[in-house]
Order: sequence, then C-alpha cells, then structure tokens
Amino acid sequence: MIFMKHKILIIEDDFTIQTQLKTLLTANGYEVHIVTNFSDIIHLLKESTPHLVLLDIKLPVNSGFEICSQIRTFSDIPIIFVTSSNTDMDELNSIMLGGDAFITKPYNTAILLAKIASLLKRAYALPQTEVLTWNGAALHLESSQIAHNDHKTDLTKNEVKILYYLFRNAGKICSRNDIVDFLWDNQLYVDDNALSVNIARIREKLTGIGLTNFIKTKHRQGYII
Amino acid sequence: MNGRQYLKNQLPVLLVNLLGIITLSLFLLACGNSIQSILFLSCVWGAVVLLYLTVLYRRRKKYLENMLSMAEQLEERYIIPEVIKIPERADDQVFYQLLKMAEKSMLEKIGSVQRERSEYKEYIEQWIHEVKTPITALKLLCENNRSPFTREMLAELENINRFTEQALYYARSEHPEKDYCVREINLNDVVHSAIADSKYLLRQNHVTVTVDKMENRVYTDEKWVRFILNQLISNAVKYRTKQPVLHFYSTRKENHVLLSVADNGIGIAQSDISLIFEKGFTGQNGRTVPNATGIGLYLCKRLCDKLGIGLTAHSEGIGTRMVLSFQINHFVSDFLVE
Repeated sequence: MIFMKHKILIIEDDFTIQTQLKTLLTANGYEVHIVTNFSDIIHLLKESTPHLVLLDIKLPVNSGFEICSQIRTFSDIPIIFVTSSNTDMDELNSIMLGGDAFITKPYNTAILLAKIASLLKRAYALPQTEVLTWNGAALHLESSQIAHNDHKTDLTKNEVKILYYLFRNAGKICSRNDIVDFLWDNQLYVDDNALSVNIARIREKLTGIGLTNFIKTKHRQGYII
Repeated sequence: MNGRQYLKNQLPVLLVNLLGIITLSLFLLACGNSIQSILFLSCVWGAVVLLYLTVLYRRRKKYLENMLSMAEQLEERYIIPEVIKIPERADDQVFYQLLKMAEKSMLEKIGSVQRERSEYKEYIEQWIHEVKTPITALKLLCENNRSPFTREMLAELENINRFTEQALYYARSEHPEKDYCVREINLNDVVHSAIADSKYLLRQNHVTVTVDKMENRVYTDEKWVRFILNQLISNAVKYRTKQPVLHFYSTRKENHVLLSVADNGIGIAQSDISLIFEKGFTGQNGRTVPNATGIGLYLCKRLCDKLGIGLTAHSEGIGTRMVLSFQINHFVSDFLVE
C-alpha cells in the first residue's frame, strides 16, 4: 500500500497526549506535526500546511475556538475538536465556528482514527484502495471477496475484517487479542472461540482457491501472513 | 388557638372585672340597694364582659386562622411576612418585625448556601474535565503499548472513566435542561458507542455481546443515553453468571420505541425489583456482589425521568432485562416525512 502521507497538526497542550497521539498517528501512516509554541500557531500552520488539524479547546494563550475561527479565515482544512468538556455549548460552538468533528476525551482511538480517515477521504477525494494484495492474493473490500489467480470466493463480514487486519499488518505477527480488538472496534463482537472458528473457515476457503498455508499460526503469539 | 387557652390568657381581665363587680356590689349594698337590683346589675356586667371576650376571641381566631392557611398555601413558608398584611396591634407589629428579621436571615442563608453549592458544582465539573486529560493520556499510553498487562489497565481505566462520568452526571442531574440537546439519533449508533466505552471490561469478562439490527430513530440527547447504557452494561457485568451474555434489541410498541438490554446474570429478587431505583438501595444482590453502591440505577432513573424516557426493570426466571422506552412524537415524524 503506497499512498501519500497525510500531514496532521496536533494542537494540544498536554505533553503525554501530544507524544502518544504522535506515536499512534505515525503508526497509522500519518506524518505528524506538534505545536509547541502556542502564541504562534497560525504561522506554524501556514508553514507546515497540514491536511488536518486536531484541536484542543482549552489551550494556553488562545482558546481552540479562537484558533479555529482564525484558521477558517484563510483555509478550510478539516478540523477535529478534541476536548474533555462535553457540554452542548462547546459542541455547538465548535460546529458554528467551522469545526468538522467533535470528539470528547477520553476518546476511543478506533473512533478517532476512523474520523480522521473519513474526513481526509471527504476533503481530498482520495483514490480508494479497495483492493489489498499480498503474496498473490487480492482482497476486494467492496465485493467482500478474495481472489487468487482466476479463483474467487465470497467472504462473510467477519472474515473480511479479519483478513483486512492481516493484510494491513502483512508480514507482522498479529496477536489473537489484537484481532479481536480490531473486530470489536468495527462493531463485530466475536470472542476467542468465534475467532478460531472464523480463521478455520477462512483457511478452508483459501485452500479452495488454491492458497494453502496462507495464514500461518505462530504458536502462542498469533497469526501471520 | 382554642377557647380554654384564650380564657386562661384573659384571666387578669376576668379577675379585674370580678373585683369590680364585687366592689360595686358591696358599695351598692352599703348604700341600701336591694339584693335583686345588685344581682341584676352584676349579671349585666358579667354578660357584657363575656360578650366582649367572645366577639374578640372570634375575630382574633379568624384573623390567625387566615394567616395559618396562607402560610400553608405557600411553598416557601419563610416568606410569610411578604404576603400578610402589616398588623395594627402594637404587639402583633413586634411579632411581624420578628418574622421579617427571620425571613431576611433565612434568605441570606439560602443565598449563601446556593452560591456555595453552585461553586462546588462548578468545581466538580471542572475537576472532571481536568481528570480526563490524564485518563486520556494513560489510555493512549496503554493502547500504544498493548500487552496483557495494559489490557487489564484499560479495563480499569474504563471503570475510572465510568465513575468520573457518574460524578459529572450526578452534578448535572439537577438541571439537565442546561445541557440537553435533543436531536434525532440512531439507536444502533448509541448502543455501539456505549459498548465501545466498555470494550475492555466486556472482553475481560468474556461477555458474549449481540446487537440486533435496530433501525429505530428516536429524539433524545445522545450523550445522556450513552451514559445510561454504560451504567446498565457495567451492572450486567457486575451481576453476571458464568458465560455471561448481553443482548441489545429494540421493539416498537404503539407510540414508543423500547430498547432492551437483557443479560443472563443473577437477576433481581421480586421483593427488590420495585426498590432498585431508590438511592442507596443494594438489596440481596448487594450482599453477594462487592462494590454495590446503589447510585448507578438511582442516577439512571433520575436522568430518565428528567429526559422523559421510561426506565423499567424486569427479572423473570433468568437474568435481568432493562427497558428504556422512548416516546415517538408523531408530530415530529410526520413533519419530517412531509
């Protein structure tokens, strides 16, 4: 998967959250900039030309609302408000001032990442990477199918998501827990046993289209493709 | 005020008049008047005095009862001096003045208590917002470094977050209208986000979660419902049995949408079921399961009442089924269809 790295600017005054958000977003394929000088945010923003801004409301010097309206005078990049106060007034203000999304702390990282991805997709009309390939297998997300050479087979919702996670982390060991976590983040509430059943069924289907031993089991660690 | 008491209070008047009658009788007797005329005169005097006292008593009683009933009609009784007429009698005026003073100091006291309360509430809300920053930081730290150890920490973090939310909503529950924004929400979304809030808790306890497809749309405030659902989920986990199951589904009943949260836990004893929404009530289950506070459901009920959502508990045979019922406003839906 090769795509242009999107730049995200984090405007957040808590040091730990700054660095951890950076780690999270970098791990998910984004380029991250962090604001350290809060009196000169606009200048930094013009210089670094991010594709998306994560903005806290309570900040030193100017509040997030003020910064948002300043940004809106010259740019319409997606802005996500990330805040710990979840009053309706704040939410309303953030929308009125041109914020694109409002997420309350402590946020679910899966939801945050999904919001970022969907806003970027909307704002920059990204080319859809609906087909993932690895080792000669092609996973078609839109039609829920996996293809190998000329053979195709249909997949269930769970199976697509499991394979998607394995393809995204191709070449790395994926622990069973991480896979189940990912499924839960996608509103598929499977347990450990159901995962085993699903994996077994996927292997059966893969063998059917000529992919044997595509998913390897790493004892006590998880799966790898 | 009753007659006997009044008569007792008027004893000096009676005694003075009696003394007067006796003195006059003695004087008239000494002057050589007949016994009959003296008796007649004494009777007339006595009758006049009694008549006078009776009329006075009646008037006074009416006046006082009037004031009592006025006070009873008032919601805040301490403002009684504001509604009664300024009395004409000198001693009544003193009491009136006393009442006025009492009212003033009461109002001052209430004012300062209210101020303190709202300051405290503001502080609590601010504190909760502040504590969410380290919670967020910890959560990110754990999610960036996944291991069995951080997984357990994440489940505990969910608990911490739930407790802080509980405090926040408790503080807000007095005036929810100040932070209440009704819009059309999808039940499906709110259920999934509530599950996401308790993801690690549910996974840690191996709860099998099923969510039936829900198309229903209701008009309410999402974050309040999410909070309520979260409390119900944590209860279901707290009072679980082996192989816990949690099932979310919605049904339509006349002009209500019912959202059910059903579990297969230890259930609620029939004798307790009517009391579970009481503050501090823990019941039989509270004795078998640690950490029962009797706050969660009380708060849920309180919020539901304020939001106009029905909340009922059912426990027949196995498990508990909590039902949230949202009223559908036909006017709104008709309006939207048009």
